Amino acid sequence: MAAVEFAYKEQAVLLGRHSLVGIVTRPPPAQQKDAPAVVILNTGIVHRVGHHRMYVSLARELAKSGHTVLRFDFAGIGDSKPRNDSTSPLLASLSDIREVLDTLEKAHEVKKFILVGLCSGADHAALYTHADSRVVGLVLMDPTLPPTLRYYIHYVMQRLKNIRNWISVATGRSGLLRLASAHVINRVRPKTQIEGLNLQNLRFSSYLPQCYRSAAVRGVRMLAVFTSVSVRHTYKQQMLDAFPEASAGGTLRLEFFPESDHLFSGVRERSRLLTVICDWLDSR
Amino acid sequence: MNPLFIGTAERRLFGLYEPAASSRGKPRAAVLCYPWGMEYIYAHRSMRQLASRLAAAGFHTLRFDYFGTGDSSGEMDQANLVGSNSDVEAAIEALKDIAGTSKVVLIGLRVGANIAANVATRHKSEVEALVLWDPIVSGEHYVGTLQEGSDVSDDVLREIRSLDLPSSLAGIPERSMVLVTERLPSHEQLGMPVEFVPAACPWVEAITISGALPVPAMQRIEEWLR
Repeated sequence: MAAVEFAYKEQAVLLGRHSLVGIVTRPPPAQQKDAPAVVILNTGIVHRVGHHRMYVSLARELAKSGHTVLRFDFAGIGDSKPRNDSTSPLLASLSDIREVLDTLEKAHEVKKFILVGLCSGADHAALYTHADSRVVGLVLMDPTLPPTLRYYIHYVMQRLKNIRNWISVATGRSGLLRLASAHVINRVRPKTQIEGLNLQNLRFSSYLPQCYRSAAVRGVRMLAVFTSVSVRHTYKQQMLDAFPEASAGGTLRLEFFPESDHLFSGVRERSRLLTVICDWLDSR
Repeated sequence: MNPLFIGTAERRLFGLYEPAASSRGKPRAAVLCYPWGMEYIYAHRSMRQLASRLAAAGFHTLRFDYFGTGDSSGEMDQANLVGSNSDVEAAIEALKDIAGTSKVVLIGLRVGANIAANVATRHKSEVEALVLWDPIVSGEHYVGTLQEGSDVSDDVLREIRSLDLPSSLAGIPERSMVLVTERLPSHEQLGMPVEFVPAACPWVEAITISGALPVPAMQRIEEWLR
């Protein structure tokens, strides 16, 4: 009987000390590329499938073109058990990534990795890369960007169009005032270490630019994707202004999806996103 | 918790099996049927919690993704209600085999409840009890709540439109419960008692993001099954 051909194979796995639940998607042995393994991180509290099953589709497409892909749940998310220690959520997630890469390295003999994340997943990926030279690529969808001068100008211009924002400023309830005061406080007392950081105060931290800088210095390739709807991103070049070193080595590529919402809910945008990521991965 | 694949090579279904924590008395087993679409995404945490509670209460539990959804094989455009019904049948067979029981409890949330009701009607001898948690009363009304531009095909929309809970209830097992966390006028058409439990609606994005869990509803299900 002839062997059944398959485009990819999926295996359910438990990873590391905390038995994190994941799915490994592998290409057929004949098509396996000598390429970094791709690891897809959770978006917020949504489990490894992703919104609109986006990460399942992405993993399968990448496996069809020769990549080994892992989707997994951080401890306490999806099907993975919560941790029973007092580690902060951010440090716990970064520790989970390390455990997962260690496990993959042993089980699949891969030495290099590409991390993929949307929103909080993108931030986890960027922060983690700083401390692990095995990560050679990042796919960051709507990552956190620090506010730049031009960002503030755009922000103010947009809000001046609405009379309700004038009232908010006059009554001290303006989001801009809160933003500016947070910016000033974080300038006076900058967070230069990961301790004490969380995803909420990340945008003002000087630790985040450090992470992008060290990734760029190491030659980590980056694909940064931005959608239209974001209160943290108001113009196309904001990433270049916020992290000038990230683009200095020519390793950063920017892609824009002006028609898409943050979760890539539209079928057409999602399909284009998959194509962009697959092409970028294959363009080494 | 044991992640596994059940079903056939053509229709591999991802599932999570949790063994019963205690083995006192005759083993009992429960299959959990997820909602569909974005409701599946947001209800996932609550369904996981329910499975763990039931396992702690002595039930072998299995929750699984329908073909073309979640981590199961198949693409989204291959998912449909007829197929999901057969997937529940496959899950019942798999759990009976793993747990060593001849019957299971079926628990379905939203569209999962409607699917569970259909399967329970056809497999009465294998379903010891049925829990319909916030089922879809009218498919026509439910379709109206779906996001514009969602991925659902016209064929599947037709299937969902045809969902009609009052007629599905005609042949369900005697030991069945309809539990709702939001009261609707249409519940009066069901012709059977509907138990209202004030609790968070677990399939709603804002509720899930807030971290709220429908604990009173889960407690009630556990208590009713005892």
